[in-house]
Order: sequence, then C-alpha cells, then structure tokens
Amino acid sequence: MKLLIIEDEEGLRESIEEYFTEAGNICETAATYQAAIAKIELYRYDCILLDITLPGGNGISILKKLKENNYTDGVLIISARNSLDDRLEGLDLGADDYLVKPFHLSELKARVSAIIRRKMYNGSNLLLFNEINIDLQAKTVVIFDKPVKFTRKEFALLIYFIANKGKVISKNAIAEHLWGDGIDMADNFDFIYSHIKNIRKKLMEAGGNDYIQAAYGMGYKFTDK
Amino acid sequence: MKLLALYNRVNVITTIIVMLITGILYYVAISWILNGQNDKALKVEEDEIFDYVKLNHQLPQVFDSKDQQISFTEAPANSVKRGFINTRYRKDKNDYEPGRGLVSSVTVNGKYYKILIVESKVETEDLIQIIFSITIGVILFLLLVLLIANRLILNRLWQPFYVILKELKLFNITDNQEIPQIATNIEEFSELNQAATIMTSRAKHDYKDLKTFTENASHELLTPIAVINSKLDSLIQTENFSEKQSKLLTDLYTAVSKLSKLNQSLLLLVKIENRLLTDQQNINLHLLIEEMLAHLEDIFLDKQITITAQLNNKEIVANNYLIEILLNNLIINAVRHNYAGGQIVIDLTADNLIIKNTGGSTPLPEEQIFTRFHKSSGSDGSGLGLTISKQICDNFNFSLSYQFNSPYHTFIVTF
Repeated sequence: MKLLIIEDEEGLRESIEEYFTEAGNICETAATYQAAIAKIELYRYDCILLDITLPGGNGISILKKLKENNYTDGVLIISARNSLDDRLEGLDLGADDYLVKPFHLSELKARVSAIIRRKMYNGSNLLLFNEINIDLQAKTVVIFDKPVKFTRKEFALLIYFIANKGKVISKNAIAEHLWGDGIDMADNFDFIYSHIKNIRKKLMEAGGNDYIQAAYGMGYKFTDK
Repeated sequence: MKLLALYNRVNVITTIIVMLITGILYYVAISWILNGQNDKALKVEEDEIFDYVKLNHQLPQVFDSKDQQISFTEAPANSVKRGFINTRYRKDKNDYEPGRGLVSSVTVNGKYYKILIVESKVETEDLIQIIFSITIGVILFLLLVLLIANRLILNRLWQPFYVILKELKLFNITDNQEIPQIATNIEEFSELNQAATIMTSRAKHDYKDLKTFTENASHELLTPIAVINSKLDSLIQTENFSEKQSKLLTDLYTAVSKLSKLNQSLLLLVKIENRLLTDQQNINLHLLIEEMLAHLEDIFLDKQITITAQLNNKEIVANNYLIEILLNNLIINAVRHNYAGGQIVIDLTADNLIIKNTGGSTPLPEEQIFTRFHKSSGSDGSGLGLTISKQICDNFNFSLSYQFNSPYHTFIVTF
C-alpha cells in the first residue's frame, strides 16, 4: 500500500515512516503544507495521514482540496487538537478517521489498515491471515472451516494483532485499544494476559498455529515467523 | 450589625444626650428667670414695708394675701442677715406648697424685727413643668421623625450599594457576565461601581490568561509526548532486550502514559471551564451505565469486585462525551480505591445516581477531594479525575457530593 505522511514534527514523522515501511508498502512524507499540496496534486495514495497544524497552512484545507478534486485517497487525521468540533469538522469534510496525539503506532496502524481495507476491497469485510478467516461485519472467525467463538474483546484484540503483525505491541497500547484511554490502571495488566491466553488457546484448539509471542514482558508480538 | 441599626443607635443616643443637656439648661435658665421674678416681687414688698415703717414708725398690718405671707418677729439687734431662701408656703393649715422667701430686718421705734416674706412658687413650678413636658414631647417626636426619615433615606440612598453587593455576590469568574453600570448620582457609589467593574474584569482577564496559558502549555506538551510515545513504540521493535532493559521500557511506557493522560485531563478541564463542549443530546443513563459496566467487566473480574447495579430509567440532556467521562471517572475510582474481593453498588433513580464502593476504612477529606491534584495516598491516578467530574456536574447544574457510611465510600450525583 502507498501512504503519505503529512506531519511537521520530524521525530513523529520518522517513527511513523519507519513503523509502516515494510515489504509491499511505500511511504512518502511531507513536512509542510506546500510539500503536501505538491504531492497530492501529483500522486494518489491509499491513505494519507494528515496533521491539522502545519507550517504554511491548515491540514483541513488539504482535506478540502482532496474532496474538491474528488480524489478517493483515504484520509486519517492525526491532530493534537482533541476537540470535538475539529473531529466533527474533519469527519464532515470526508476524513475517514481521526486520531488524537499522542497515540501508539500500533493504534495508528490498525486504523490505517481498516481504512485501506474499506477502500481497497470495496467494503468487503473479510480478513485473511493464513488459516484464520475473519468476517468483520458478522464478527465471526473461521479456522480451517471451523467456526471459533471469540468474545468481543478477544475479537477486537485479534484484529489489532493481525493489523500489526510482526510488530511488538506494548501492553499499554493493548489496554488503550481495548478499554479506551479513560482507563488508567497501568500497573495492572493481568486482564490483558488472560485475554491473550484465551485467544491462543482457542486458535490452537481449532488446529491453528500459535502466533502470539510474549516480548520480554513488555508486550506481545503476533507473527507467523 | 446593619449600617442602619448602627446609624440609628448613634443617632438616637446623641439626640437623647443633646436633648437632655438642652432640657437641663432650659430648666435651669427658666428656673433662674422665674426665681428672679419672684425675688423682685419679694423685694418690692420689702420696700413697701420699709416705706411704711419710715412713714408711720410702726409695723404694717399683716393681711393674708393670696400668694404672699408676711410675718414679723422680734429678734436681737443685728442678728438677721438679709437674703433669699427656698422655703415652704403654708396654703392652709396643713397644706404646704413650695415657696420663695426673703428674710430681712427693720428697726421700728428702737425695736429690732426680723421680716419674713414668703411667696408661693406653685405657678412657677407649674410653668416649668409645662415647659419641660413640651420639651420632652418635642424630643420624642423628633426621635420618631429621625428614625423614620433615616430608615427611608438610608434604604433609598443605599440602594445602589445593595445592587452592587448583589452583583458581587453573584460574580463568577468563569461566567461571561459583567457587573452592570448602575444609575446613581452618588459619587461614592458610582466610584464603587466602577472599581467593582474594573476589578472583576481584571480578574476575568487574568483568569482567561491563565487558562489560555494552561491550554497552550498542554498543547505544546502534546507533541513531545507524542514523539516519546512513538519512539518507544519504535524502540521495542528492535528486539533483543535484556530483562532489565524491558523493565526500564515498561516503566517508561507507564510514565509516558500517565503524562499523556495528565495532559489530556488538563486540556479537558480547560475545555469544560470554557464551556467549549456545548452540543447536547438526550442520554439514556441506564443504557450508558450498562454498556460501561459490560466494557469494564474484565477489570471488575480481575479484582474480583462484585457489582450490584439497580438502574431505573433516567434520561438527561447533556453532552454525551462529558457524561461518559463522568461515569467512567466515578466507576474507575470505585475500582481503583477498592480492595480485591470488594463491592461496588450503583443505584440510578430519577433524582440521583449513587455509586458506592468498599475501600479504605477512613472517610476521605470532603473539602479536598474535589480540588486539583488532591490524591489519596497510594493512588496512581492523575489527581484530576474528581475535579473533572465535579466540573462536569457543575456544567450541567448537577451536584456531586461525597459521603462515607462505613464500609461504603459514596459519591452522589444529584440531577
């Protein structure tokens, strides 16, 4: 997939670029309003990560420009403005999603994957990872043609893992993804462990592989390698 | 003490004292004048006696006159000293009246006589009494008039003052309401009005500056926090960490996560205080709480906390985002300050929402828990949760209160 990262903060831009760069992905970056406009006039992207506050202009204008030209690039707004109005304005103007800084890269990846999935497969709701078949609409999982029942949180976690396959996801990122950032019980991640244990058990009982690896007590990695 | 009461007291006391002194002076003066007249009459009588003695060389016949009694008594030569005395005037046999007398002497045919002329003072006294009662009457009337006048004048004159006072009492630094200009001709009050207006607008201005600062500072902090967060996410992809390093990384994550939540809470507080979150929806609290409890089920299970929820239907009109934060804060608090195996009781009625939890055995300091950055010992929260909750409640005119009924810590939201 082809991504454009419009972000003026160098540290953040580099981290995102690094995290998204893998086989089959092309990441381009723009640090200013002008650079971003130049890019979107020339190229089309699967998803554009758009910061609202940019030197030289406002990210919202870039979004407007995209929509005026009927470009179908997916747009994910990343902004420090945690304001409901901004969020609504962005979504009203046709952005696909909105993520507030600071965020975990794994969360960003999951959101971008969802946007691209919706765009690329024309609303197809099937997600495939080796033997695991997931119907996102019906929220069902089929492994080797056998349906496996997951709870709501286990299901959400499985999708999250697949979107971030091959990456170490920190426990904080998992907790925030599952319970939102209202929850702040950072010193106690036992409940994550029990979800992971259940997912692993259900996958293996259905004859699937054990894809989840614990990463040094910091987090988990979902990988088929 | 009210100004009017104090003013009246001072007024009445000074009026009475002044009036009393005047009364006394008046009395003394009138007595002196009337006595002088009495004395003059006595002297005229004395002169008449002297004239008679000189002419006739004998004592005059004594008649019982209506208001004068004269008596002559023989006395040793030169034993009488001439002078006026206050004495009694015998009206009838046993009926005496106050009187004024003149003691004098005369020598008739070589015999020395003491003369005593006494005049009744009844009429004089009557006069004094009448004058005195009129004076007292005037004093009382004057006092009454003063009291009424004071009351009317003060109440009216001080009206602008009370208006300003009321405005000051209603003054709220977070409102946009200004202290209005009051129409008054009294210089002091219009000055007070101006001073109050200037003071309040300055306070508002400073407060706004402070809020802008908080907001800007929090905004500026967001970017570095976002960078740290993303760099940590990148760092853990680089594999091969020792156990010690992963422990350090976990601690870093925890700290950054706290920092970011703290920052978000500050931004949220500013937003609530600025009333920037204005859109309102109908919210079914019953459904919302049930959803929330389902969402947090793992956390309850993890701490083996028993939830008892008795939820009646209750709809409110409020901002959905803020109400979610409020409920989340209160419920998470009930978990965080609970012990393993504890209880949480949630009651929702048409009037209020009660969230009770078991926890520490001593009550929390009620005045402090809603202030910023107040934390109970051992709490790992931001210290802003209850402040935000309180602000949200204030925002929708709900009240949030705390009670401790052993073993339950109880938070009550009254709609």
